[in-house]
This record gives sequence, C-alpha cells and structure tokens, in this order.
Amino acid sequence: MAEMEVERTIERLFARAPESADADLFAERVQRRLDRGWAARRVLIGAAGLVGGVIGASQLIMSNLFSRAEAASSESARVLTSGVRQLAPQAEWLLNGPAGIEAIWLVAGLAVVAMGLVLTRIIEEI
Amino acid sequence: MSRAERHRLSSLHDVELASLAASGDRQAFGELVRRHGSAVRALLRRMGMSAAEADDLAQDAFIAAFESIAEFRGEGAFGGWVKKIAARACMRRVQKDKQLRARLEAVDLQEAAEPADPGRRMDLDEALKGLGEAERLCVSLCYGAGLSHVEAAEALNLPLGTVKSHVKRGLDKLKARLAPEGEAMEGRRGNG
Repeated sequence: MAEMEVERTIERLFARAPESADADLFAERVQRRLDRGWAARRVLIGAAGLVGGVIGASQLIMSNLFSRAEAASSESARVLTSGVRQLAPQAEWLLNGPAGIEAIWLVAGLAVVAMGLVLTRIIEEI
Repeated sequence: MSRAERHRLSSLHDVELASLAASGDRQAFGELVRRHGSAVRALLRRMGMSAAEADDLAQDAFIAAFESIAEFRGEGAFGGWVKKIAARACMRRVQKDKQLRARLEAVDLQEAAEPADPGRRMDLDEALKGLGEAERLCVSLCYGAGLSHVEAAEALNLPLGTVKSHVKRGLDKLKARLAPEGEAMEGRRGNG
C-alpha cells in the first residue's frame, strides 16, 4: 500500500468504532452528572446571592448610616417624610409607628435582598 | 424524556444539537453523547486506557465539552472536536499518573515480546497492541483524534521530531499487521 493509502486506511479504521451495547446507559450517566452539577450550581448561586444580600442589608442597618443621614439633614428627612405621606397616605401608620423611618429603611434593605435574588436568578438563566 | 422528544432530537443534525446544548438544553447534549460516546470511549481504549478508565475519561471529556460548547462553531465534526478534548484529557492523565504510565509501559513490553504472525489478519485494536506506548499514543492522537503532529507533540510534551518518528514507526508496524486487510479491501474494490 502507498503511504497515503495506509494513512487513509488507518484513519478509516479509527473512525469505524463499534457501537457500544451500553451507549444509552453511558449517555444517561453523563446527563445525570450534568444535572447534578447544574443543581449544585443553582444552590450555590442562590446561597451566594442570599448571603451577599443579607450581609449588604445588615451592613447598611448596623452602620448607623440612617441615623447619621437623619442627623445630617433633618430637613431633607422631613421633606422625604412629607413626600412619602403625599405619595402613600396609607403608609402613615408606618411612619408614625414605634419604628418610624427605620422601618422604611428595613423594608428597603429587604427589597435590595430580593433584588439580589432576582438578579442571581436572571444571571443563572442567561 | 418522552419518546416524541427523543425522536425529535434524534432527527436533528449535530450542529443543531450543539446549538441547543449551548443554550442550556441538556437533553440535546445527551443525544450528542449517545451518538458519539462509543467512538470517544473506543479511542481512549485504543490509546491504552482500560475500559473503566476510558469510561471515566470519556465522561469527563463530555462534561468539559458541555462547559465549552459555545466554542464549537460547527466548522468541523462534533465527534472530532470532542475526541480532541478526550485525547488531551487522556494525555494529561498519563503525564500526571506515574503508576498509570508505568503500567502502560509494562503492557508495552509484554505486547512487544509477542511475535506478530505475518499471515494473520488483524483488526485495528489487535494491531495497536503490537505498538510501543509512545507509538500507539502518537498514532491514536494523529489518526484517531485528528491532531496534527505539532498538536500531538504539545499534548505529549515531546519534541516534534520524536513524535514524527513515533508516528512513522507506528504506521510501518500497523501497515505490516493490517496489510492482509488492506489488500483484501483493494481486492474487493477491484472485483466490485
């Protein structure tokens, strides 16, 4: 056989691999591994988003940022409060409650956490 | 997976399945594994892996292929692409695992001591056993996985000239062992 012919024959023989009897089983095993990896990744991303959101919100709450901001600009806080009152008179009970403005910030913090979760879900889907 | 879904996937071309897999469709990728799993496992066995090692490596190769499926643009065959991934993974394992390397060398010595019967017709798997480890790996990488000599040299961490001479020697041995089949093939073609 000529050199080129030998090479082509060997390539053909390599390409002519017999079909394994357990080809379906092998494919299922690979798919199970992919599914496991996917589930683990989802849990990991979700957990990371939750932890990040909680840490971020707690940092905001613990850093006294709100009271400092309040002290720095009580006037703007008053404007904000009246603005909120105009926009949502129903929320008056919340502003006048024992927690007052802190409750609004807490809700905002929770909203940030929720947004973090939504964002991680969107990233995951992409 | 429903029968209808399986039927739908089995009617699609590899490139279409790869594109679905790139968008996260694991069922589509499963169909690709079904189509090409046997060939990848056979290649790894021909490179000297045991059946169990070949299965493990082939699984790893398919997982790696899924992770980087976006890189597959359909310019070549999917089977060839995944075979290259598997062959490179195999080379990494051979270079990392000293025991495995020693075992492969031991098999080579054993097989090399066995004389080849020039009149006996052999299949490729049998003929490959008569090659040295390096020859078998080089021939499998170049003719089974479709790597160029340069790529094989990089995968094996060997000089290019060494790879070329291993391929040459391996081909000569295979030619001698497979000659009856080659002649028979030519004879069939001549008679047909």
